[in-house]
Formats: sequence, structure tokens, C-alpha cells
Amino acid sequence: MIFEQILFFIAAAGAIAGALGVTVSRNPFYSVLALVAHLIALAVLFLLLSAEFLAAAQLVVYAGAVMVLYVFVVAYIGGSDEPLQPVRGPVARLGPLFAGVLFVEVAIAVIGSGLKALGTRGPEVQTGAGREAYGSPGQFGELLLTDFLLPFEAASFLLLVAAVGAVVLARRRRGLEDTGTVDDLARSSPESDDPRPEMVPQGDPPVPTGAGAS
Amino acid sequence: MTHVIADVGLAESTGVQILKSIVIFAVVLQVVPLILLLERKLLGRFQARLGPNRVGPFGLLQPLADVGKLLSKEQATPTTAVPWMMALAPVISILTAIATLAIIPFGDVRNDALFGSDVGLYGIDVSIGILYAFAFGALAFYGLMLGGWASGSKYSFLGSMRAAAQLISYEIALGFSLLGVVMTAGSLSLTEIVQAQDGIWFIVPQFVGFLIFMVAGFAETNRPPFDMAEADAEIVAGYNTEYGGMRFGSFFMAEYINMIVIAGIATAMFLGGWHGPGPAFLDPFWVVAKMFLFIIFFIWIRATLPRLRYDQLMSFGWKILLPLATLNVLVTAVLVVLT
Repeated sequence: MIFEQILFFIAAAGAIAGALGVTVSRNPFYSVLALVAHLIALAVLFLLLSAEFLAAAQLVVYAGAVMVLYVFVVAYIGGSDEPLQPVRGPVARLGPLFAGVLFVEVAIAVIGSGLKALGTRGPEVQTGAGREAYGSPGQFGELLLTDFLLPFEAASFLLLVAAVGAVVLARRRRGLEDTGTVDDLARSSPESDDPRPEMVPQGDPPVPTGAGAS
Repeated sequence: MTHVIADVGLAESTGVQILKSIVIFAVVLQVVPLILLLERKLLGRFQARLGPNRVGPFGLLQPLADVGKLLSKEQATPTTAVPWMMALAPVISILTAIATLAIIPFGDVRNDALFGSDVGLYGIDVSIGILYAFAFGALAFYGLMLGGWASGSKYSFLGSMRAAAQLISYEIALGFSLLGVVMTAGSLSLTEIVQAQDGIWFIVPQFVGFLIFMVAGFAETNRPPFDMAEADAEIVAGYNTEYGGMRFGSFFMAEYINMIVIAGIATAMFLGGWHGPGPAFLDPFWVVAKMFLFIIFFIWIRATLPRLRYDQLMSFGWKILLPLATLNVLVTAVLVVLT
């Protein structure tokens, strides 16, 4: 259908523009926003491939949770109009090399598999709103818990380790004993141990730590 | 197979779809000022006042006066602001709010109802169902965030930061609270969930889930006692401090539409949707009546409970609501497998 094709080119152009915006923008805040736009365009591309669940997950997890954290942090500490310093040292020489290698690799992948599929109509899949349909949540869950069980569990274990690690690191940096709770953290300021919560200026809210653990 | 974008299981022809969208859109936008009037009237009564009663009989024309005032006000932009982003933020807010309306079911599919076409009394019935609402809910955050950041003022920024922290904290609990219903019904689609409640409404077996959903729903819609993002006693008006006129009106309208959406989702997922005594043509009225109950409840809570402190809000979300929601999912999963 013509509408699908128009939408594809809009979403594809949006994805590329977003990806370019991430690297080209000097202001980190705009970079993060460009990444959000890129992720939304990717979600539209997933929809066009009738992978509705993946599109929704992309929006909920990446645009909704991960990028919120990015925006949060960048808005707090970055986002200034200070120009970024040009990179010096060995990194400056190795950077273009890695970029070139990556470009060649992606080009091989695209030419190797992508171009071959240009003349075909794509795989025959059962689409529709039913439970057995391709890309539906039911199919997705079944594949995750049968064929891809091991990678799925490994990925979730990795995330758990990362979450625990983030909590441990955050606690160590604040110099806290294990007895401190989040409530104490929010109430006590470093200068005073005044137990009256209403007299103490509110300390650093424990938000980034907790959100990071999610 | 001709599908335009994804598969949404539409029962009707394109013309009827457009007509349906316009009806839902128009009706909800007309209802928002009326809810505003209802809220002001009820708040007045709760606080032993009369509420607005000067414009028109019983103050019924007050919403018209409010909208007229908002439309004719000047849009002030601070010199530190980013103007284009400040204009974009309310658009994101209201767009995501209205888009979410599409999945609220007001009734089952009516055969041969309009111009010889079947009509489902809902916007769309997507296979991902409730996840659609979460996807747009996730994007709705950027309306508040960009609005606060682009205003270039401290209070706006603080408000948007609070909105960010609050939304990610309570969205997980909100999702988990609905997971129990999804597992019991065996479907993500809201219409199928309502059909599964033919015998017993899910508020009975999923009462804990219902409570968690209501609490997290208050937080997601930024309604008191969870309105930390605009807490007017602390940070002026939070993310919309620098907004005026209809841009402020858009944020305001988005909040009320979000309230309607949460009421609609709660009706469909817990209160049996269109099920109720009487002939079939009463179905949409049952849905509206149940949603109305929830909206009254939202207003009642606003008038009754004081605002939480910020750290209380966070520790409540992470230490009580989330474990409770997880436990609810676990117990429901065990019960679903056993029965």
C-alpha cells in the first residue's frame, strides 16, 4: 500500500535524522532528545513490520524508562551551552579507525543480506489481530520461553547484576553504613543529625539511585 | 491482507472509523470543561462554600467563561526559555492523552449498526491492548519534562524533575497492578478483558490490584495527593509555572483527559466495563456511569487528603507499592496455574 510506503520513508528519514542529531548536536540535552526521536521512529518501523509488541516495548522501556533517566541526568548536570572540548591523544587517532571498521562491517551486512531480499516479497507470515498472529504478545512470549529461554534468562540475570552493582556503588560513594535506609537518607543532611524532619532542609532525594535500580 | 499500519482488528469500514474517531474526540473534549465545573462545584461543597455560581444559572456557564479567558490571554515567554520547545511541550501532552482515549471500550461490536457496517463501540482494539496505553503514557512524560526544561525557570525545572522521578517510580506499579487482570483474563485486549468479566467483575478477585492501580493512577495523572510536579505550595506551579493562555489550558486539559483515561481503564479492567443490568443499548451508559464514579472519587480524594512530602512519595512507591504489586502478580500467577 502507498500509505505504508510513505510512512516507511518518513520513519526511516526520522530515524536517520535522529541518529545524526545525537552525534552532531553540541548540547547534550538536544542529543538525548534526538535519541528519543530516533527511538520513536524505530518503533514506527517495528509497527510497519507488524511487530506491535516490540514497538510498544520499545516505547515503554527505551523512550519511557531508559531515556527518562538520561534526560533526568543530562538536565541536571549537562545541558549547558559550554562547547565540548575536542578529543586529544590516542583516542583521537583510534576513533576514526573504529568508525571506519564499523562502517565496513555494517556495509557488508547490508549488502550481504539486505540487498538479496530487495526483489522478494519477504517471508510469508500470518498477520492479524489473533493470538497466533506474527508479532503478537502471545507469539513473542512463547518464543522467549521456549526457543530463546537461555539468552532471555542470561539477559535478565545480567540486568539484575547491573542493578545490584549500581546500588552498591551508589551506597559506597555516599559513605553509608549498611544500617542507613532511604528514609534516613532523605531526612538527614550531612551537617546535622537533627532528628526533627521538618527542621532539616530536605536532602538529596534518593531518586536517581532507586530509578537506576529499575 | 491489507493492513495500513499494524493490525488493530477493526470491525468497520474506513468511513465509519473516521466518524467514530470524530465522535469520541468531540464528546471527550466537550466533557472536559464540564468535569472542571463539577470539580469546582464539588470542591466548594467539600469546603463548605458554594463554588462558582455567578456565570449563568447555577454557574453552569463558568466553563465557557474559563475557556474564553484562556483563549484570549497573552502567551508570555521568559527570555531564558527555548520558545519552540515551550510551544511543543503542551502539544505532546495533549496528543498522547487523546491518543490513549482510543482503546477505552464503551461497548461490544454492534452488527450491522451504521451504514450496513459492523461498529465496535471503541476507538481501536489493538492486539497489544493495554500496552498501547503504557506506550503513550511513557511519551506523555516528555510533555511535562520539556515544558519544565524549556521554560528556563527554576520552579518549572524542579517541577519537571519531580514529574520524571514520579512517573518512572509509579509506572512500574501501575503496570504490575494490571498484570494480575491480564493473567486472569488471558488477554491484553481491553474488549476481551471486559468479555471475560461476564460472570464476576475483576475487582473481586483482583482487589489488591485494584487498590494499587488507583493509588498509582493518582500518581500517573499528577492528581492530589500526588501532585508533586505542580505542588503549588512549594514550587509555584511546577512545570507549567511560565505557561499562560491556551498553552496552559492544554496542559490542564491533558491532565483531565488523563483522568478520564484512567477512569476508563479502571472501568474496563476492574468494574466489568459495559456489563450491567438492562438491555444492550444501555451498555455505553453503564461505562460512562462507572467512569463518572471514578472521576467523583478523584475529586473527593483531592478535597480530602493533604499532599505527601516528596521523600514519602518516593519511599511509598518503591518500598510499599512495588513489592505489593509484585506479590499480587506472583500470587495471581500461582492461582492461574493451579486452577
